[in-house]
Amino acid sequence: MADSGLKDVPLREVQVEALVVMRIIKHSSQAFPSYATGSLVGMDVNGVLQITNSFPFPTVDSTSSDDRHDNSNSAAAAPRAKSNVAYQNEMIKLLREVNVDAQTTGWYLSTSMGNFISANTVENQYFYQKEPNERAVTLVHDVSRSSTGSLSLKAFRLSSTFMAAYKEGKFTTETIQKSNLRYQDIFTELPITIHNSHLLTSLLHQLPAQPAKKELSIPADLASLTHDPALTHIPLAPNFDSLELSIDPFLEKSCDLLLDSIENHHNELNNHQYYQRSLAREQAKITQWQAKRKAENQARAITKQPPLPEDEWQRLFKLPQEPSRLDIMLNSRQVEQYARQVDAFTASVSGKMFAVKTNLLPGELA
Amino acid sequence: MATSNNYLHLARPLAPAPIATSLPSTTSPVSVTLQPQALFSILDHASRRPADQERVIGTLLGTRSEDGTEVSVTNCYAIPHTETGEQVEVDMDYQKRMLELHLRAAPKEVLVGWYATSGELNTFSALIQNFYSQQGEGTFPHPAVHLTVSTVAGKEVEANTYISAPIGVTPERAADSCLFIPVPHEIRYDEASKSGLEMIAGARNKENREQILQTDIETLESAIEQVLEMLERVSAYVSDVLDEEKEPSTALGQFLLNTLSLAPKVDAEDIERDFNNHIQDVLLVSYLANTIRTQIDLSNRLATAAITMGGDSNVAAGAGGGDGKEGGKQGGGRGGREGGRGGRGGGDREGGQAGPGGRRE
Repeated sequence: MADSGLKDVPLREVQVEALVVMRIIKHSSQAFPSYATGSLVGMDVNGVLQITNSFPFPTVDSTSSDDRHDNSNSAAAAPRAKSNVAYQNEMIKLLREVNVDAQTTGWYLSTSMGNFISANTVENQYFYQKEPNERAVTLVHDVSRSSTGSLSLKAFRLSSTFMAAYKEGKFTTETIQKSNLRYQDIFTELPITIHNSHLLTSLLHQLPAQPAKKELSIPADLASLTHDPALTHIPLAPNFDSLELSIDPFLEKSCDLLLDSIENHHNELNNHQYYQRSLAREQAKITQWQAKRKAENQARAITKQPPLPEDEWQRLFKLPQEPSRLDIMLNSRQVEQYARQVDAFTASVSGKMFAVKTNLLPGELA
Repeated sequence: MATSNNYLHLARPLAPAPIATSLPSTTSPVSVTLQPQALFSILDHASRRPADQERVIGTLLGTRSEDGTEVSVTNCYAIPHTETGEQVEVDMDYQKRMLELHLRAAPKEVLVGWYATSGELNTFSALIQNFYSQQGEGTFPHPAVHLTVSTVAGKEVEANTYISAPIGVTPERAADSCLFIPVPHEIRYDEASKSGLEMIAGARNKENREQILQTDIETLESAIEQVLEMLERVSAYVSDVLDEEKEPSTALGQFLLNTLSLAPKVDAEDIERDFNNHIQDVLLVSYLANTIRTQIDLSNRLATAAITMGGDSNVAAGAGGGDGKEGGKQGGGRGGREGGRGGRGGGDREGGQAGPGGRRE
């Protein structure tokens, strides 16, 4: 199996084992509300990245650190911290002895309300994706969205244009104009399928799922009906959380997050304008100085003195650096993420609300 | 797992305590709670076992309640081991290293026992069990929990949990004899994993055992369909009872009455008003989010657009190239939802804005 052949097949799809889904969910819900990060292992088969196992990264114990921001930052930066790279390597070595796939296929993180697009995320993914032949994805699990009914798991990779730009490290206006990089192009999303093993499928068939389809016996009294364990303790019962109709918490949180993004955006814009102004001032000073120099030289030419050099201004005046536009781009991508979430929410909520209204208003048909 | 068993707890006499000052090993009643990811991990390990091995073993990690009677298994990992007719070898060094790695990631968990993927209990099990119960490396003074999961293809997956008590036939064989006492266990699914489980369970009836992740709308649709189906069944039953085809039941009738009385009784105008308010809120936030997205997109494009015409300061105001051209320093929509660098989109912000094309220092 030639490795160069594998490199050319682009990743189309991500296949996640049920085990990985459960482990990610458990780790994320344990670490809530701070971030949870961990590593994924698996195999790449014909353009489909199969993820077969995962393990969490150790983080600083939250009680010992004094600043919560510090803690979440260290958790978010965990995948590329040196100590964790050693941890990961040792873990993979040990797992290989029990026949678990030993190829690192990326990392996962948990988030709340879609708030995951940050410099840390990009750096982590870049760290994994920069190896040649590296097939790495970021799996993002959204804890708050999953609790409202449907599992929210997404797979992202950095696009190749973005990788090239990030490697150079410069995000000035000119480079962006040249490469035509838009903020939508930073991440590419890959579709996910969940895959079960045979043993797991037989286990799933064993567990009671829905209320039995056959005829049930009539219960003796109300108490036995409400407390019948066969009816109340169904592990795979359909999840009716999605039929909940509370909209205010979601809307409030979304608005808060949008306001934060707007503030960030304005801060970045102000930075850029400050840069523009100081650049203009420097330019003005330079032209002034050049004019003076010219006048001096003319005066000297009259008195037959050697003219002074005209390009000393490059050493005397230092042009300010243009601030990087990467933060603005990430912020814009984050806003787009929020907007998409709100759209999805609106779609399902308006359906539910119309249904409830029609039900509550007696006799109305539309 | 289809029927729940009844358990009778047998307390066996203990071997003399090794050290008088420490607590003796207890065989008090223990109940075990299994979390689904541990079970899935065991099944996964069973399917990866080397071809020549009947069963594989591993370590269980979890938490224990204060008094030691409730044990919750939250995590597990596999251990390589070889088993021949006469002897068994377990890689202890591996166990130590893995345990240390896992405890670094989850410091609140402790070693609670071990698992094996076949249902039988033999002398090797006893040997390993004694190892896990010992002092120092094992779970002393608490009993080590042994979980067996039968993974025979085609039959039911059965899980059994045991704790052990020493039983002596002769002193020489004391190390590899022990009495396995079954203890009650339960697989508990917590709230957070419900949505994940639903997705996973959705794949169980398909040929290739795969399930594409569904969007919110699709899960909503399937939930509603299921509720409709259940409602159909109930209403069919009720109409049968009214037609005297089925036996009535006071319990069911009471339950239905209780449930139906939960529907709120509100005036029609109140409903209309509340509904309209709520829908407006939702649509407002959706509109705002999209507006913000568009504005920021516009701002980014204007900032990085190529400079096309030099003379027209209107357009140059929008372009704002990176080499310090003097045009294009509008107020930038400070203090609002603008973000448009050219400031032309919706510039009714602060009064000082000099209109499109004007420059503002």
